[in-house]
This record gives sequence, structure tokens and C-alpha cells, in this order.
Amino acid sequence: MFEIILLLVKVVFTLVIYLFIFGVIRLIYLDIKSMSVSKTDNTGFYPYLKLINQREMLSFKVEENYTLKKSVTIGRNDKNDIVIKDPFISGIHAYIMVEDQSIRIKDMGSKNGTFVNGTRLNEGEIVSLKDGDNIKIGHVKFLFVSMGK
Amino acid sequence: MFCLLYNHQKGPWDEYLILIVSMLLSVGLMTIYRLNESLGLKQLVWIAVGLGMFFAFYHVYIKVDKWDRFAYVYISLCAALYLVTLILGRNINGAVNWIVIGGFSFQPSELCKILFVFFLAAYFKNPDNLFLTKYIQDERLRILLNRALLMLVVYCNIGLLVLQRELGTALLLYSTFLVVLYVFSKDLKMFLINSAFIVPGVILGYFKFYHLRVRVDAWINPWADITDKGYQITQSLFAIASGGFFGTGIGMGRPDMVPAVSTDFIFSAICEEMGIFGGAAVVLLCMLFTYRGIKIVLGLKDRFKKVLGLGIVTMIGLQTFIIIGGVIKLIPLTGITLPFVSYGGSSLVTSFIALGILQVISNPRFDRVGGEADG
Repeated sequence: MFEIILLLVKVVFTLVIYLFIFGVIRLIYLDIKSMSVSKTDNTGFYPYLKLINQREMLSFKVEENYTLKKSVTIGRNDKNDIVIKDPFISGIHAYIMVEDQSIRIKDMGSKNGTFVNGTRLNEGEIVSLKDGDNIKIGHVKFLFVSMGK
Repeated sequence: MFCLLYNHQKGPWDEYLILIVSMLLSVGLMTIYRLNESLGLKQLVWIAVGLGMFFAFYHVYIKVDKWDRFAYVYISLCAALYLVTLILGRNINGAVNWIVIGGFSFQPSELCKILFVFFLAAYFKNPDNLFLTKYIQDERLRILLNRALLMLVVYCNIGLLVLQRELGTALLLYSTFLVVLYVFSKDLKMFLINSAFIVPGVILGYFKFYHLRVRVDAWINPWADITDKGYQITQSLFAIASGGFFGTGIGMGRPDMVPAVSTDFIFSAICEEMGIFGGAAVVLLCMLFTYRGIKIVLGLKDRFKKVLGLGIVTMIGLQTFIIIGGVIKLIPLTGITLPFVSYGGSSLVTSFIALGILQVISNPRFDRVGGEADG
């Protein structure tokens, strides 16, 4: 009886350690994944979002530029392509659709709204973006820069 | 368990380092407490001191801006620490590297490791331009003299450590120096010359120093002299073997048969009682730590911080490799501690200081472009 309990405890203990390691690896994986969207050097060839806020004033991680090669979702949730851990940003906040010529933004039913040039988008409303548009999501303000320059 | 002490608000610094370290600390503390209860309580106090130092150095590093200007301070502090050790040093466990002040013993060579990395960072911030920049106009001569002086400082450090019979730390400093040289030196010849030094160094050491010969003999064939020279390593191998996959269970094994089990040989105790899965978990955690560190270093712009970060990461990573390799008879055994796991105040506090510095460096808020742009 004692042996069985001992074996069980041992296995559970090992499992706990490996679960922890798995958790850390998962977090690191998500971190790298979010980096692959933002850290491309191709700014200038692809349209991109440029951060207007001073990065030092924000208490969470946000990149200087986000390249828009394909359609991306923005939100606080780790599953998004662009993850910003601002408490004023919803889990899945907005969706930016990138097609051949047009780039459009859609609000995914966020709590605090997505603003394009100061006007709030209704839930599900789709607005096409043009060069120099201001996008405000939570605390974060982006400048939209399209390639047509 | 130590995560509770950490600030939960997510900042722009690296969050994973402290997570990995807290797991290593938990495993180590558990094992030490099981081996010796009073040592376990002492280790708990040291962890508290270490965490204090971690936060202290985090803030001190931010406040003091010009860390790259103090190269001479690092050298002289190092020299002073060695001098004090040579005069006041006590012989504990075969190495003359302890200073005992009022029943409180500590190992100055541990602090020297950090100072050494700081010195390397100050040198490679602007390679070959640290010494005598004002006095010598000829550039080739200046570079040559700078390199000679760098090698002098490095090999004095290593030589003094060998004199104190602290082979593990000497090996650690040497390999850290080689890695930093390989990455940041512009001249491959410099790296090749320095790496060639190991061959005559080892041969000379083997024939000159008795304690080095003992280590090598015990590594090649520990079974020849199982009762004396090979006792420690064979006991360690027995302990690891008796663990099996899931271990004997904490408190059920006999890891106390291994000499120095709570410091250098803690990995054998972990392997015996938590199994090879537990041991592999420790190795995995250390690898993750090194990976995270290198990732931080890659993202840095300031060259001084780059060298500093790389030095610290290589140091902790290699320290793990050297001691685990020694315990499992992969490489000759040299006594150093397993960072964050082994019992030992000086080692733990130093590791925490290194971690604190790494944590500041990882914060892009304090990163600015400095030093030479390339590299």
C-alpha cells in the first residue's frame, strides 16, 4: 500500500515540475510568435502601424512598428497576432483586413471602442484606412502608414 | 513559491527569468532541507538576503549610469579581494578561498566573477581602446599594448584562482573570457592565441599540481581507487543510478553517502530522490534560463550591456555545465556550485546579483545606443 502511494506521489511530483516547464516554454513560444509579426524589417514595402505614444509612458510591452503583411487581429488575448497587454484593450479588440489594395479595420465588439481619426467605430463596422489615419485602441495610438508614398 | 515576492504588474522587462529561477530555488531548497534541516533554514535566510540584493542591485544599476567608466575600479577591487583572501584565507574543503569574519564565512572569489564580467564589458565596449588612450598616439602599438594588458589582467585573475586551488572558478572565468572574445573581438587571431593557451596550461597543471592530477585520475578511472580518490565520484554515480526514472522518493534514498552532497553534489541527490526525470528537469530549466538570457542579449543596442549580459549568461550556463558534467563523470570534476540550487551563501548572493543585473538589462526602457554600433 505504502509503495503504491509513494509511486503515485513521485509521479505526480515529476508531473508538476514538467507542467511548470511546459508552461514556461508555452509563454516563451507565445512571446516569440508575437515578435515575428512586429520585428520584420520590411517597413516601407508593406503598410505598417507606427506607435505615436512614447513607449516609456506605457506600462506594458508594445513595439514601435507593426508590419501589416497579412490580416491581423489586435487584442489582449495571447491568441491574437498583435498582443498588447493594455487593461483597456479587450480580449479580441479589432481586426485589420489586408487585401490587395485596400486595408480595412473592423471593431470586434470591444468594450472601450476603436477610434479612427477620433470617431468611434460601431461594433462590426468596417472602415477602410488611408495613409496618415490615426487609430486609437485603449491607451495606444497608432499612425497608419501605407506603402503608397 | 517565490513568485509571490515578485511584482505582479507586468512590465516591459523579461518575466521568465525569475520564474525559472524560482523553480530552481524551490527544488534546491527542498533537497537541502531534506539533507540537513538546519542547512535548509540557513539556505532560506540566504535566499531572503539574495532577493534583497537582487532588488538592491536592480535599482543601484539604474541609478548609477556610467558603469563602463569604472574599469580600473573593477581591476583593483578584484586584486584587493584576492589579496585579502591570500592573507586571511582559511582552508575549508581543500580550497584556500574562505574569509571568516566573526563566525560568518564567505568566498570572495564568487564576487570576483561578477567584477570580471564587468571588466570584460568595459574593455569590449570599445575594443582595444581602454588603456593608455591618451599617451600612445600610434594606433597599432596601442592596440597591441591594450591586448597584452587585457591578457595580463585575465590570466592574473585565473592564476590567482589556481593558487587558491579554485580550479572550477578558474575554468569558468577562462571559458567565459573565450566566449566573450569569440563573439566581440574583431581579430580571430586573438581568440586562437588565447584558446591555444589551454593546452600548455593543462599539461603544466597536470604535472605541477598534485590536486589537479588527482582530479584527472579520478575522472579517467574512478574504480581504480574507489576507497580514496574515486570515492566521491563513484558514490555520486551510485546515487544517480539508484534513483531510476522516478527516484526513490524524497526522504527514501541515501544521498548522504555522497561527500559534499548539499553543495557541489546536489545534482546527485536530486537525481537519486527525484529520479532522472527530476535531474533532467533541472538541466532543462538551466537551458531555458540560458536561452532567455541570450535572447535578451540579442535584442540589446548598448554594447556595454551586450557584453555584460552575454558574460553573465555564459557564466551561469557554463557553471551549470561544469558542475553537472563533473558530477556525472562527463568532464573532470571541479568543485563549483550549481547556481540557485546548491547550498552556499556567497554563491547564491552572487547569482542573485547577476540575475538582478540581467533583469535591468532586459528592460528596453533603459537601453540606449552606445559604444560601437557593429558587433
